[in-house]
Amino acid sequence: MTEIGLGHYLILGAVIFTIGIIGIFLNRKNIIVILMSIELILLAVNINLVSFSIYLDDLSGQIFTLFILTVAAAEAAIGLAIIVVFYRNSGTIRVEEIDNLKG
Amino acid sequence: MEILIIALPLIASIISGFFGKFIGDRKSEVITSLLVSISAILSALVLYEVIVNNYQDNIIIATWISSGSLDVNWSMKIDSLSAIMLVVVTSVSSLVHIYSIGYMSHDPHKPRFMAYLSLFTFAMLMLVTSDNFIQLFFGWEGVGLCSYFLIGFWFKKDSANTAAIKAFVVNRVGDFGFALGIFLIFYLFGTVNYSEVFELIPTIVEKNIIFLSIEINAIDLICLLLFVGAMGKSAQILLHTWLPDAMEGPTPVSALIHAATMVTAGVFLVVRCSPIYEYSELALNVITVVGMSTAFFAATVALVQKDIKKIIAYSTCSQLGYMFFATGVGAYNVAMFHLFTHAFFKALLFLGSGSVIHAFKDEQDINNMGGVWKKLPYTYVLMIIGTLALTGFPFLSGFYSKDAIIEFAYLRGNTTGFYAAGIGIFTAFLTSIYSWRLIFKTFHGEFNNKNIKVEDTHESPMVMLIPLILLSVGAIFAGYTFKELFISHGVAGNFWQDSIFFLKPLSTEHPPFWFLILTPILVISSIPLAYYLFVKNKNLPEQIANVNKPLYQFLLNKWYFDELYETLFVKPSKTLGLFLWKFFDIKLIDRFGPDGISAFIKRCSLRASKFQSGFIYQYAFIMLVGFSALLTFLIVK
Amino acid sequence: MIAHAIFFYVFSIIAVISAIMVTVSKNTVHSVFFLILDFISISCLFIMIGAEFLGMIMLIVYVGAVAVLFLFVVMMLNVAQQKNQWFNSEENSGHIPVGLIISTLIFFELIIVVGGWQYKPNLLGSNNISITNEISNTHSLGQVLYTDYIHVFQISGMILLIAMIGAIVLTFRQREGVKKQSYIKQISRERVDGVEVLDVTSNKGVKIDD
Repeated sequence: MTEIGLGHYLILGAVIFTIGIIGIFLNRKNIIVILMSIELILLAVNINLVSFSIYLDDLSGQIFTLFILTVAAAEAAIGLAIIVVFYRNSGTIRVEEIDNLKG
Repeated sequence: MEILIIALPLIASIISGFFGKFIGDRKSEVITSLLVSISAILSALVLYEVIVNNYQDNIIIATWISSGSLDVNWSMKIDSLSAIMLVVVTSVSSLVHIYSIGYMSHDPHKPRFMAYLSLFTFAMLMLVTSDNFIQLFFGWEGVGLCSYFLIGFWFKKDSANTAAIKAFVVNRVGDFGFALGIFLIFYLFGTVNYSEVFELIPTIVEKNIIFLSIEINAIDLICLLLFVGAMGKSAQILLHTWLPDAMEGPTPVSALIHAATMVTAGVFLVVRCSPIYEYSELALNVITVVGMSTAFFAATVALVQKDIKKIIAYSTCSQLGYMFFATGVGAYNVAMFHLFTHAFFKALLFLGSGSVIHAFKDEQDINNMGGVWKKLPYTYVLMIIGTLALTGFPFLSGFYSKDAIIEFAYLRGNTTGFYAAGIGIFTAFLTSIYSWRLIFKTFHGEFNNKNIKVEDTHESPMVMLIPLILLSVGAIFAGYTFKELFISHGVAGNFWQDSIFFLKPLSTEHPPFWFLILTPILVISSIPLAYYLFVKNKNLPEQIANVNKPLYQFLLNKWYFDELYETLFVKPSKTLGLFLWKFFDIKLIDRFGPDGISAFIKRCSLRASKFQSGFIYQYAFIMLVGFSALLTFLIVK
Repeated sequence: MIAHAIFFYVFSIIAVISAIMVTVSKNTVHSVFFLILDFISISCLFIMIGAEFLGMIMLIVYVGAVAVLFLFVVMMLNVAQQKNQWFNSEENSGHIPVGLIISTLIFFELIIVVGGWQYKPNLLGSNNISITNEISNTHSLGQVLYTDYIHVFQISGMILLIAMIGAIVLTFRQREGVKKQSYIKQISRERVDGVEVLDVTSNKGVKIDD
């Protein structure tokens, strides 16, 4: 237990990943929470990559994490812009009121 | 040229039927009457050829069915039998067409009527000139169909519609037997052409087949089945119920179909199949009994009927019984002779009664008529001529034909023959009584009509009288003129040649003189009797009726046949049909079939549409579930 | 090593708890704050593990930019504080058990991978960018990033540019009634637009529509 190995980091990543997934579909609040949960998922992936990189002595994990960071930032920006515009059009970002796809 | 005979009525029917609206009423009447009359003239020419030059031919127009061993052609077989029928059918038909121009002058649907009449003529001609059973059946069904059209011509009347359906359904029963007979013929011989079948008949005389688990001689069975068809078409007893109700149609229809042509198709069938019938004693006896019973039954019912057309209808039924009974004793040529003469005087009687109805402004009950013999002179005289011919008054046509039938029955020699002859004479007496009853009640006595006055009754127009006059010529002279031709007692130059087959030639003797004189005496003496009963002492018939009330009711209700059939067949079929519809159709088949499936699909799709909630997080959730399932599957594998 | 373990546990517990609080909090602003806490703790974890460049970058980019962006949007959109409908709501909370089950399922599957894996035999020999202790993490990243991964680097720059353009395009709208100076209009003004010669009759004056 005291010897922190790769497994511990991986378990940490798995936990955060699961929490992120829970956040996506178990919330009934608003869409911003969904976007934040996506950020959590990406964070978990980052943990995974970095821990592998350190323990396997290979830098490409960290490089890839850099790129994931980039893409996560871009995606958060676009996602929020879409939410802003959507809010302008429909006046609400409560998840339960967005059912335009209802068939 | 012969093809024109059957083509012209068809063309007339098509022109009047499809284009009658465009060319107008008058033109369609004239065109149809003209074309059918040309057909009549051509048929007379053909008959002349057959009589004088022994012309015979079998013209094949086209191949109809050629499948395996079944070869059926559209053909015209001209021999003495079909030539006679051609003349009868076309001449009566053309006269009826001309008569209808006058009778239906107030009707708004003239072209349709003319088209149906011509179509009927075409179908009857197809029946008569066929050389195989299938074309015969085609014509058979065709006349049945046209009969339905014409009886139900005034389709807005409920009673006309039901009568038309009744005629068609009862005919159908007969047709079913007829079809079974044709199937049996094909099964036994592999062909349905007359010539081939007739040749092969003697080869299977001893053969028995099993029908409905009864072993029966094959030829007997064929004859009986074919006779069932004839019974239906010619309204013999048991399948006669449609004929009186068929009087719902206009009078020209009754004259054409139910006097001269359609009902004689049954007789024609039996005579045409004489090669088969001659080999079957059983069938011939059955025919004799049926014919005789029908003649008797119809005559008794006609005694008490009130409707003028129904009296004549029952009279037709009775005369047909005579014709069948003539074929039953083996005298096919006599039957044809009676058919020939009967066509004329029965059509005359029907058309004359139409004239009377027209004069009384559509009144048909003879109790509401009377005392107009001075006002309708032509009609009166013509009806008397018809009645004289019908009853067999000496030297008119009916005398020769009807008495010949009774003679041949007597000459048979066995008990059936004597019995049949006795009934025949008694029925002739009854015939005379009811026919004169009709004349006296209609034209003599007091004027009984409450709706119109005596002055309003007027004679019919010329266009209606000319056919009557022509028919009366036939009624008077046809018997004497054609007697030798039809009933040539073995004289050289036999007219019938191959068209009728006699297994043993007919007897050429004559019955004793007292027998010969019996019928005419009865007939002549019935005239004053009828006069006394229906003109002089009007109360006497009523008293007789009151004394024998049950008998009177029995006769008035047509021997309760309709009621019997109603309880035996109609009510059960109706209940069965209702039950099958309500229970099976609606509850079972519809529930599991279309309705059930559609309701089920609707429910399923309603549930399925709830998946599309529009909430994206739910969609994401589903994707996640799928993803986890896949992952589990991969890990577990 | 004990210190290592203690720090690891502290940081990871903070991370997990704040992750849970991100999804659970009633107030959305609180959720954002917890997200920020999460990022900080993970970044500390990265620094501890030896990837300090990445930790710092995460702090700058994620916390400084992305989380602040979230905050801006949350405050702009006026997200109302609402009753917690996560658990104990009357209407449809039936989805919670199912969701929890599925999530635990996924979690266990992820763990199974940890338990049952093996290294590829020649894994360490396959890739050759190794971490050494002579140069710092930043230096070594720089050595690799601009040489072997240059294409990917440029493309990620492109992605950022596109994202920026996209965000502007999406949310841009013209406001009415704003007086602005458009120098193009100023420069392209002609004499016709500016001067109009009128015939003035004496004593009458002239009407200038304005």
